[in-house]
Amino acid sequence: MTLADRDEMAELALKRVRESGAEYGDIRLMHSTSQTINGEDRRIASVRDVADSGFGVRVLYHGGWGFAASSILSIEEVPRVADLAIEIAKGSASLASERARLVDEPIHRDRVVTASRIDPFTVPLDQKTMLLQEVMEYVQRQPEVVRSHASLWARGDKKLFVSTEGTRLEFDLLAVQGEFTATARHDGRFASRTFTTPHLRTGYELIDSANFMAEAPRIASQAVEKVKAAAVRPGTYDLVLDPEHLSLTMHESCGHPSELDRALGYEANYAGTSFLTPEKRGSFLYGSSHVNLVADNTEADTLAATGYDDDGVACQKWDIVREGVFVGYCTNREVASKIGETRSKGSNRADSWGSVPIVRIANIGLEPGQASLGDLFADVKRGVYIEGHGSYSIDQRRYNFQFGGDAFWLIENGKRTQMLRDVIYHGITPEFWKSCDGVADRRYRRRYGFITCGKGQPGQSGWMTHAASHARFRRVAVIKG
Amino acid sequence: MTIANVKTWPKMTGRDEFRFLADLVLKRSSADQTVVNLLDQHSGTTRFASSRIIQNVDTRRGTLTVTVAFGGHRGSASTTDFSAGSVQDALARAERIARVSPEDPEYLPPPDPQVFPTLQTSRPETAAAGPARRLEYANEAIGQCRIENLEAAGIVSSSVASVGVAASNGLFAQEERTEARFSLTVQAEDATGWSAAAHRSIDHLKIQDRTLTAINKAKRSRDVQELAPGRYRVILEPAAVAGLWSWMLWTLDAKSYEKGTSPFADQLGRQILDERLTLQNVPGHPDLLGTGFTHEGLPSEDALWIEKGVLKQLAYDRFTAKQQRIKRIATLEAPCLSASGPTAFKTQELIKQCERAILVTNFWYIRTVNPTDLTLTGMTRDGTFLVEDGQITSAVRNFRFHESPLRVFKHMDACTEPAEAVTSETGKMLVPAVILRDFHFSSVTRF
Repeated sequence: MTLADRDEMAELALKRVRESGAEYGDIRLMHSTSQTINGEDRRIASVRDVADSGFGVRVLYHGGWGFAASSILSIEEVPRVADLAIEIAKGSASLASERARLVDEPIHRDRVVTASRIDPFTVPLDQKTMLLQEVMEYVQRQPEVVRSHASLWARGDKKLFVSTEGTRLEFDLLAVQGEFTATARHDGRFASRTFTTPHLRTGYELIDSANFMAEAPRIASQAVEKVKAAAVRPGTYDLVLDPEHLSLTMHESCGHPSELDRALGYEANYAGTSFLTPEKRGSFLYGSSHVNLVADNTEADTLAATGYDDDGVACQKWDIVREGVFVGYCTNREVASKIGETRSKGSNRADSWGSVPIVRIANIGLEPGQASLGDLFADVKRGVYIEGHGSYSIDQRRYNFQFGGDAFWLIENGKRTQMLRDVIYHGITPEFWKSCDGVADRRYRRRYGFITCGKGQPGQSGWMTHAASHARFRRVAVIKG
Repeated sequence: MTIANVKTWPKMTGRDEFRFLADLVLKRSSADQTVVNLLDQHSGTTRFASSRIIQNVDTRRGTLTVTVAFGGHRGSASTTDFSAGSVQDALARAERIARVSPEDPEYLPPPDPQVFPTLQTSRPETAAAGPARRLEYANEAIGQCRIENLEAAGIVSSSVASVGVAASNGLFAQEERTEARFSLTVQAEDATGWSAAAHRSIDHLKIQDRTLTAINKAKRSRDVQELAPGRYRVILEPAAVAGLWSWMLWTLDAKSYEKGTSPFADQLGRQILDERLTLQNVPGHPDLLGTGFTHEGLPSEDALWIEKGVLKQLAYDRFTAKQQRIKRIATLEAPCLSASGPTAFKTQELIKQCERAILVTNFWYIRTVNPTDLTLTGMTRDGTFLVEDGQITSAVRNFRFHESPLRVFKHMDACTEPAEAVTSETGKMLVPAVILRDFHFSSVTRF
């Protein structure tokens, strides 16, 4: 299907929306391709190539929303889907006790393309499977490593967004990621260690530069060391957290509570609400003065930096927490007005043509501080250094959290010493961030992304990147997992 | 109004259409074996919060997946475009992948043609339910909450799916499956109450009863006290039991068992839980979401997984099953957990038996802490109460638990008959409400 065909479909749909008397409508036509290669225990367990096409029409009629979508990408299907979206919006409007309204956004006409050197879909498949087999073979040659997993993933999205306001946006986006895991067994226990690249909007050069085979010896030996390590002794510890680990801590304890739709109750029945309620904006002490959490959907290569969101709003950069004080939300054109803002932050995204856009966490990151990593360790008498992701859970208002990690080391008198296992820490979000007394400088900054952030009913997967340098937290409760 | 506007209603892929699409692939395939999977789904959800409609959606998505193998070299490609050209392109992509993929030592050809059970997986009232019916149900729940001056947040959804599998060796199965869901969180200022349902028939969602349940929980949650973390006797309602049991079911895979990376290692045939507990798969049960066949084309059948506390079955992939000489692979898409001996009829009877206990409506954000012994963590949610002298005396602030279901279900003080249970994080099950002792709540939150 040509771009002209898509424009014709868009025009037909939006004509019907305009003629219905609706105040707003938009259409997203998408063609997504993805390739996922999964390896398990030395073998390539699956290679899946997915082509996913369709379109979705969104209508705001007298303050009521309607959305309909179809995987039949043809001009003949457009009237059915557009009329269904209008019919649904009219139904919503019939029960509307309060009309939804959209804040203004300039009209945009643009094309956004992911900058990449190597298109991941042109890299020969045997080169990819060979890489995964080699790394699995290597880690499983180590005594006591009993299992291995490895995977490569790439996705391309070609999208056309057109609205009744005149915005027309073309997107040609890419995203890539790879990882491998070694699982060791010892004395009736088993433990895993994982190496992962971030998910980034880039080409296959991300995988090439990750150099799996150079990382494999460390991952294999640390899996064995971890399963044989002493269990942590429960107590109060200072924690030094690496950027990969912090990406999840920030995501759960800062990202989700800063979604305005949650704070307004839209997710009360599923993902939950937020302790960061609107009256706290501008005054609530979320963390220490070292804590500056910034949303930046303009940083190149990051997952939420798509130029524009699915409201057709330009991507932006803004503060969520400034010197410890909660100051900003992630918003869309509907909820922004409810806290008196005149423009959306551009954080409304859908996970496919078949889903309606909802407020999503932006690329929220912890701003670098002044310390070196050595400085952060130097002042710790008894602490734990944590790398990577492990167990995680948080309550539905984002107060009480509990995190594990992928690898743990004891810190004694300023030095990282032996590995530990089964480390779990827990706390209450603002108390935890108030205990942050140091952030490493820009040299240590790393970016990690998520593509499986669950939210919405029906459920959708959100994509965003979280960047951080290492950070230190004082006197955190640690238990044995 | 229960029938959707016929002009805006899509026509689903029926049995004959699927056979036509499958033949389009199978007749052109040059592979040794070829399998075609169909999932054509039409679903809609009406979502409300703060007692108003916030989202109202309808999506039709058809997906055809082609998997081919040359020897043990396998490839898979899918498309949402059912035109002849795109379907043949999916076959070509799958063949290209298979030709350059390494040989998979665990590859097995598709199962031989099977006789599948005929189950009532589709209900016409659900297939015909459209946005108007969903809106009617949402309005009913919102209205009941408004009468009580409470806020409602929730969903009403309905879907119909045509599911099929066809293979070059003659294997063929297709069935239509419907599903309707309702879930509701009632907010009384800072307090919440919750209830949920899922059923093949939209007529069985019991909107009024479930709304009243959520309202009562929210109202009872207003007066809340904070208790210290620690070990408590607990009464777990069916949704809370389903949350813990889902994680047990997900970790029953035979490959991990054989490789020693399963919490059930060496426990097959042994007493692992309370001797009154029995877990079965009952795909034909009218209140479960049983299916006639699996994605691979194996028949769903009644099966005994845990009998009187003894682990009898593992979840086999076909390769591990062949290695272990397992002839029939048991499925577990329609789980029913029941208890032998005297049982209570309702949770209320369990409450009456307790001098002091914590009553848990539901758990949230359950995750594995330690995979070796299946220690889990999660939060209580939407109705956590203190029971004293046989009655609820107050709500309590929500706890975080840190516990292994394999430990706490070794002994059960009492339980009810199995009841329908579904949560936002689990599939549908029939499970009892139970009284367990020494359940570990490791911390408490602010509400």
